Parts: sequence; C-alpha cells; structure tokens
Amino acid sequence: MKKTMSRSIAAFILALAFLAGLGYLCFRFFTENDLWASQTYNLYLSTGGGLTNAGTIYDRNGEVLAESDDGERFYHEDMSIRLGTLHTVGDDSYNISTAVQTRFRSQLVGHSLVFGYGLPDSLTALNKMTVTLDADACGKVYDAFGGKEGACFVYNYKTGEILCMVSTPAFDPQNVPETLPDGSYLNNCVSGTYTPGSVYKIVTAIAALEYIDDIENMTFTCEGEKDFGGNVVTCMDTHGELSLDDAFSYSCNIAFADMATLVGADKMQKVADRLGVTESFDINGVDSAKGHYDVSDADANQLAWSGVGQYTNMTNPAQMAILCGAIANGGDAALPVYMEGAEAAETHSLLDEDIAERMNEIMRYTVSGHYGETMFGGLTVGAKTGTAEVGDDIEPNAWMVGYSTDEDYPLAFAVVVEEGGFGFYSAGPIARIAMIESAEALGFEAE
Amino acid sequence: MTQFLADVAVVGLRILMAFFAVFIIYECFASMRRQRRHETPLVMLYNETARTKIPVLCWENAVGRSRGNDIVIKDPTVSRSHFVLLRREEGWFVSDSDSKAGTYVNGKKASFRTPVYIDDKIQVGHTTLQLRRGEEFTEQVRHNWFFSKASGRPSVSSPWLVFLVNLFHLFMAVEICITFGELRVGAFEIWGAMTAFSWLLYAVSAGGFGRSNFEIEAIALFLTGLGALLLVEQNMRDAWIQVAAAVAGSVIYMIILAFIRNPDRIIRWRMVIMLLSLGFLLINLIFGVAELGATNRIYVAGISIQPSELVKIAYIFVGASALDHLQTKRNLFEFVVFSALCVGALALMSDFGTALIFFVTFLIISITRSGDYKTVILAVAAVIFAGILVLQFKPYIADRFAIWGHALEDPSNAGFQQARVLTNIAAGGFFGTGVGGGVLKCYGASETDLVFGIVSEEMGLVVALTIAMTIFGFVINSRATASRSRSTFYSISAICAACMMLTQTALNIFGCTDILPLTGVTLPFISAGGSSMLSCWGLIAFIKAADERTYSVGRLNGEE
Repeated sequence: MKKTMSRSIAAFILALAFLAGLGYLCFRFFTENDLWASQTYNLYLSTGGGLTNAGTIYDRNGEVLAESDDGERFYHEDMSIRLGTLHTVGDDSYNISTAVQTRFRSQLVGHSLVFGYGLPDSLTALNKMTVTLDADACGKVYDAFGGKEGACFVYNYKTGEILCMVSTPAFDPQNVPETLPDGSYLNNCVSGTYTPGSVYKIVTAIAALEYIDDIENMTFTCEGEKDFGGNVVTCMDTHGELSLDDAFSYSCNIAFADMATLVGADKMQKVADRLGVTESFDINGVDSAKGHYDVSDADANQLAWSGVGQYTNMTNPAQMAILCGAIANGGDAALPVYMEGAEAAETHSLLDEDIAERMNEIMRYTVSGHYGETMFGGLTVGAKTGTAEVGDDIEPNAWMVGYSTDEDYPLAFAVVVEEGGFGFYSAGPIARIAMIESAEALGFEAE
Repeated sequence: MTQFLADVAVVGLRILMAFFAVFIIYECFASMRRQRRHETPLVMLYNETARTKIPVLCWENAVGRSRGNDIVIKDPTVSRSHFVLLRREEGWFVSDSDSKAGTYVNGKKASFRTPVYIDDKIQVGHTTLQLRRGEEFTEQVRHNWFFSKASGRPSVSSPWLVFLVNLFHLFMAVEICITFGELRVGAFEIWGAMTAFSWLLYAVSAGGFGRSNFEIEAIALFLTGLGALLLVEQNMRDAWIQVAAAVAGSVIYMIILAFIRNPDRIIRWRMVIMLLSLGFLLINLIFGVAELGATNRIYVAGISIQPSELVKIAYIFVGASALDHLQTKRNLFEFVVFSALCVGALALMSDFGTALIFFVTFLIISITRSGDYKTVILAVAAVIFAGILVLQFKPYIADRFAIWGHALEDPSNAGFQQARVLTNIAAGGFFGTGVGGGVLKCYGASETDLVFGIVSEEMGLVVALTIAMTIFGFVINSRATASRSRSTFYSISAICAACMMLTQTALNIFGCTDILPLTGVTLPFISAGGSSMLSCWGLIAFIKAADERTYSVGRLNGEE
C-alpha cells in the first residue's frame, strides 16, 4: 500500500497541473475580460440593437455626442458635429474600427467583470465615456472641408489629448444613407496615408541638419530645374541662391533634392525610420497606418525626388502631427489619445533638442516670413505647406502641418485635402480654423 | 420600482445559486472525511527475533527488507520484497513474493494465499514473526492528514445531501421560467425525474445495500441534473437521454460495486474483459459512423453508442490488481499491449481526444502499479512519435494545433468555437446570465465540446469552476483514501478512474478555452451524450469502492 501511495504522486502531479490550468484560465479571465467581451461577433452586443441601452459619450466640455433614450440611440443634434465626430464616436454598426462605439461597446452597454452581461437593464450601471475632442472644433472643421475628402488632426503634444479628429468623407450616423460614400468608414487621420509632397521637406531638413556638416553656411542654387542621375528635378520657381532657411520657406525642390543627395540613401532612410514615418503607433489601442519611405532601390534621380516628398513616399497625418509636436517640444512628443482618463500618454523622443530648436526657427520663419502671423489669430505657429503631385490628370493633394509653441496652447496639427490643389490655399484655411478652435477649447481668445 | 425589486431578486438568486453549488460540493467532500474508524492496527506482528511490535495498518501489506515496504524487516536474509500479508473477508493470508529464502507459516512453505491465524508464526530468512491481535499494540499511530481529525464530526446525513441537490435543481428550473417569463413545463419534468431518481438511488443504496454514505452518488446526481437542466432549453430530447442514461449508469454502478466486492475476482475475468473490449472497438472500427471528424460511434436500433466510452471502464478493471499479484507479476507486457491496441484503435477512429485520455491513464496506471519509469518513458516517446505522424497525415488536426493559443485572431474560421466560448465566459461573469437564456447553445456541438462555455455563460464562472474542482476533488480524495482501501486494486482503480475523468475534464475545459488544442471530448456528467454518462457513472463506482466504508456497513453500524 505504501508503494502504491508513493507512486500515485503521478496522479497528484496531474491534479496540480490541472489546477495550474484553471489558475491560468482565471488569470486570462481577469486580464483579457474586455477583449473577450468586446468581440464583434458577440451576440450580446449585436442582438437587440446593442446600443439601445448604452452609455452616453461626452466631449471634453461635457457636450453629449451620443446617448440612448427609450430604446434608441441619439447622436449630437448638430449635423456638422455628428459628421465631424463620426470616426471618433462611431455609428450603430461595427464598421468604423477606430470609433468608441466599436472599440468600447462592451463597456458602454454595461458589461462588467463580475456580472458579465447578466444584469437586467434596471440594474445596469451604464458606463459613460468622455472623449478628448472639442465637438465645436470638429463640426466647424468638417464644414471647412466643403465636401472635399481628407483629414484634419489637432492634438496637444504635451498631454497627448486629441482635440480635433475629422476625416472626410463621413456620413450622418443618425440618418445613415442607403449608399455610403467610398472610404467613409476609414478614419483618414489614423488609418490614411498620403503622398506628402513638400511637407516631407521637414524630414529632409532634419536629415540635412544631422548629417551635412556645413549645412548652416551652405547655399543652394535653383535655376528652375536640375539634373540628378540623368533626369531632371523641377522646381515651381527659379529661386537663385538660397540658404537652408530660405530654401525651406520658399519650398525649393532643387535645394532639398541636393540635400537628399548629399545625405545619401542610407541616412535618409535611417532618419525617416527614426522620426516614425515608417512606423505604426498606438492610439488608445488603434494601430495607426504606417507611412512609406524606401530608397533602397532608388537611383540618383529617385533619391532626389524622395527628398522633396515625391517618389514612393507616403505619410500618415497623425504621424506628421506627432513629428511637428516633437519639433515644438524640444524633440519629445506625447503619443495621441482620444479617451479621457486613459493612462498617461506615452512620450516619444524623436530628435535631439538642438535640432528641434533649429527646426522650430526654420518653421517659425516660414510662417512669419511667408504665410503671415495673422493667419492663426495670434498663436505662435511654425508650419509647412505641401502640394503633393499624385497623378497627371488629378489635382495635387494639399497639405499643411505645424504647431504652436505657446505655453498654454501646445498644439500640433496636420491637415490634408485630397485633390485640394495648392497647399496654402486649400489646407491653410482648414488648419486655421482647426488651430484657433482647438486653442479656444484650451482658453485661447483669437485676435 | 416593482421591476427593480424583481430584478434584484433575479440577480440575488443567481448569486445565491453560485454559492449554493460551492456549498453542496463542499458538504459532500467534507462528509467523506468524517465518521472514519480510528487508525488502530488491524493486527500486529511480533518480531520474535528482534523483539519488536509491528502494527499492521493496511488490508494489504508488502513485507521485505527495502524501505518502500509497508512493513520493513531489517534482516539481510530477507528479500527486498519478501511476502505480502493481506486481509480478505475470510481472514488473513500470506503470499510469497518470489522471495529467495521463501516464506514459511508454522514451518510449512507458503506460496500464494496461505491462510494465517492469530498466534501463527511466519518465518522469513532468520526472522520469525508472530501474528497477534491488534489490541495488543497500544502505542500511538501516526495519522495521514485526511484522517487526522476525521472522526470528530458526524457525517452529513445522506437524505440532507439529496435534498440539497434537489433544491439546487429546483432553483435551476425556476430560473429557466424567470428567464423566459413563463412556466416551462419541461424544466419541471426533468427536475421531477431527477428528484425521483435520486431518492430511488438513495433507497437502493441505503435500504438495499445498507450503505451509510452517499456523497459520491450525491455529487454524480448534482452534476447529472445540472447538465440535464442546462439542456432543457436547447434540446428536450437530449435532456431526457441524459436522465435515462444516468439511471442506466447507476445500474452499471451498482453492478460494478457488487462485482468488485471481491477484489480477486477480476483476475479470472481479466482476459475476458480485455477481449470483449477489443471486440467492441473492432465492431466500432467496422461499423462506425463518421461524425464531426471522428468515427467513434455505432448505431444500434437507431441509438447512437460510443463503444470507447464503455471501454474506459474495462480499462480500469484491467489496469488495477491486488498487491500480491503486483509483487509477483511485475512486467507490464500484457497491459502495454492492451493499451497500445486501445489507443491505436481510437487513433484509427480519429478520436484523438479519447486516445489521449487512455494514454494519460495508461501512464498513471503503469507508474502506480510498478514504478517502472523505463516503460513509461518508452511509451511517451512512442506516442510523441505517433503524434508527429498524425500531424503529418491528418491536416485538420494540424490546423487545430495551428490556431491553438490564437483563437481570437481568427474568430470566423479556425478559432470559431474557442473564440465564442471565451466571449460567452466573459458574458456570463461570475454568476451567469440566467439558466436557459444563453446564446452559446446556438452553435454546433456546444452541448458536448463547448458545454463548459454554456455553464459559464448561463450559471457563471463560479459554478463552472466548482464543477472543475469537483473532478479535481475526486483525484485528491482517491489518493487520500488510497492507503485505507481494502486492496491496492481499489486504490489503483480509484486513483486511475479519477485521473481518467480529470484528463477528460482538462481536455474539455482547456480545449474550448484555447489553453490546449480543441480535441472534442465531453465534460464528465455535464456534456450531452448517453454513452459518456454511462461511463462516468461506471467510473465513480471505483472511487466508491476504494472508500473503506462502502463494504463495511456492519462494522460502522454495529460492532465498533
């Protein structure tokens, strides 16, 4: 009997392994509960409307963006705000992957760890949720697009809070049309990528400051076009002799093609990767779209074009805003978030402080010298416009990216208007509204 | 306001039921520790050579020189395992374990089961042992934890346990009505049938066989009724099959208990049982019908039967035996061949889950019987090799391995079932969304493979884990009582039957929750399936038999 007893330790080990398995299951139950509960196939969410008894979503000022009443879901009463916040708030479906109503629906309908979906309606503690957006800013920016497609993204580079996240085309979640415009489920700010055109010169300028020794004393000569590797790179104008600052503010293609050539493919790639152009980052659990910069197979002419943001370059609007935030903030920028009360946003270090300060000078000079200080209603803004050629018969994409350095309004922005034409005239007005409205949400009073 | 109060009551009932389930299972296991006889020696051996008193505590005792024996004789002329001293209902016997010097009783050479009586002298080597009465040994005996405070409190009365189980099932039936807001007659029919069955079983057990304890049966009834009531809103016919199979299973349970009352009877029947089992599996291989990937069932007169479920019981029979047989017949050859044929047949049926259950049980039996790790390592190597071949030739098995641990990444195809189980476990929370109201049962095979998810969703994680812990408790309990069984046959068979159920439970629970690859085996007593229910009731007979109280009613009620 004693031997049988001691040998039955095998049974005991099996039992302990079983216990460990149950422990692991419980561990996962606690740690992955939200993930399990919020799956889109979950019948507790999709049957019976799912949202008919869901919690209210507020903006940063406590304005109701969506609420349920008497078995129906209601969105903001102002149609522009409904459309402007669509990609953050979401609709009844699960199709807008970045939206609160898609990602956090289980919490919105009162799912809890202890009771699951088991509580009757009268006992469910409806979870309200607050987003960091400013509803008015989003509504006004939506209108400013005037039917054009694109993205406008403004965030606080110190705290990470997104104040304005508008993506067009959108649709009205209150009265969903039968046929939706193509791409209206996509949040272009986070999930879109576009040919950057001249806004990419920010990246090229940083590479030049880092890797070209005598860049500060160098001049570049623009005669309207220049040969690189047997083909020409053309410029909008004939700029003549230019310093780095002037080349940037005049947005001279020849100067930046020269810089990209001097820096070389390897280092251009390295800088693009480090600045996050080719990286994805996390916005409250949503992975942003990666941009594209790959000059590994580029010839001399293509490398030159990549320096002015053409070639195969692609950038993501939110990522460009983060880069601008880092320039304004001495090289570091918080990663964006749109859920209020989320964990403290991560800070990314993108570039050295001295380079950031130098870039700030250059971008500030571009605004004060060329766009005009009055454009942003008195905010201290550094910026860059871009006009990205995307095809022969199509109007170029218009860009404007930048930031304000005012202590109380640490905002970075990126605006892109598809087929918008000239960057300054098309993206500029939207950027102006977005920045002033967002700053006003932080207490700014425009002049 | 009334709505609010009604809702509070509904949620309150669910919370109550979760703790009620825990309480019932606790009472059953706690009761098994109570009302035990004191650990006093059954008899005593007086070593005339060394002048020492040796208490004999077990019904079967290995005697020899090595330390692993129940009774150690420090005499170089004694073999490492010399003889076995064992008790049967007829009295005490000595079986020589092929010792070098031989065993002599009163000067006559003993071989197999030579009777010894009080004051008889057993000579081994240079040592002479005299069998004396247990009362002559007056010193304190060291207790195993399970028995240390065992006899203090009275055991929980069996009718009370049955009542608790009935009450729990009644709550379930009521909850089904609450969920649907109307009277569901089916639920009360099942409840009524289960209640009648439990009292009938109690009457037979207590009245017919005079058994005082009823814990194992109460647990089986509790689980059976829980499973059947969960089926009411899914498939009423299946619910009735569960109850009917449990009734049939309880008959098998009684037959097994009667059959193994004499633990030596199995030796004569062993070959017959082996051949019958293999014949059963062969019939399955020839006439089997493919369903859900495995060809593990046959149809007899329209009734689906899974022969492999019944072979499980036979497997335990064949695997265990009494101590003196173990000591003289050490090689596992016969058992290894039988196991290989069983596992091979199951693999041919593509029933890899059941094959794995047999294999794990094989390992436990082999180790517990012989301590022969060489055979075990060899077997593990062979099975790993076979497993690799299976993955090569059965692509759908390889697919299951591929999705293992990533079910949520592909919830519409390969991870479909596991992902839904996880989501509905989260939906149920601790206390469930209400019996009968779950959505997991809409999916295919949910009543068998995914039933853990259904329990979690409708009754909550607390009840689901209680079920898992019950099977875990069977293993711990079988091990704890092993040394007090009347034969190693009972100890080994109880431990292995419990391990078999535990392995099955593990494959079911961890398979559907993506912790192990999904193999599609049933959750004991809960999953829908008549054959599975029969085998579960059959298996608990071994656990019951290992409990010394099962066959010793007279002593408890009278003599002691």
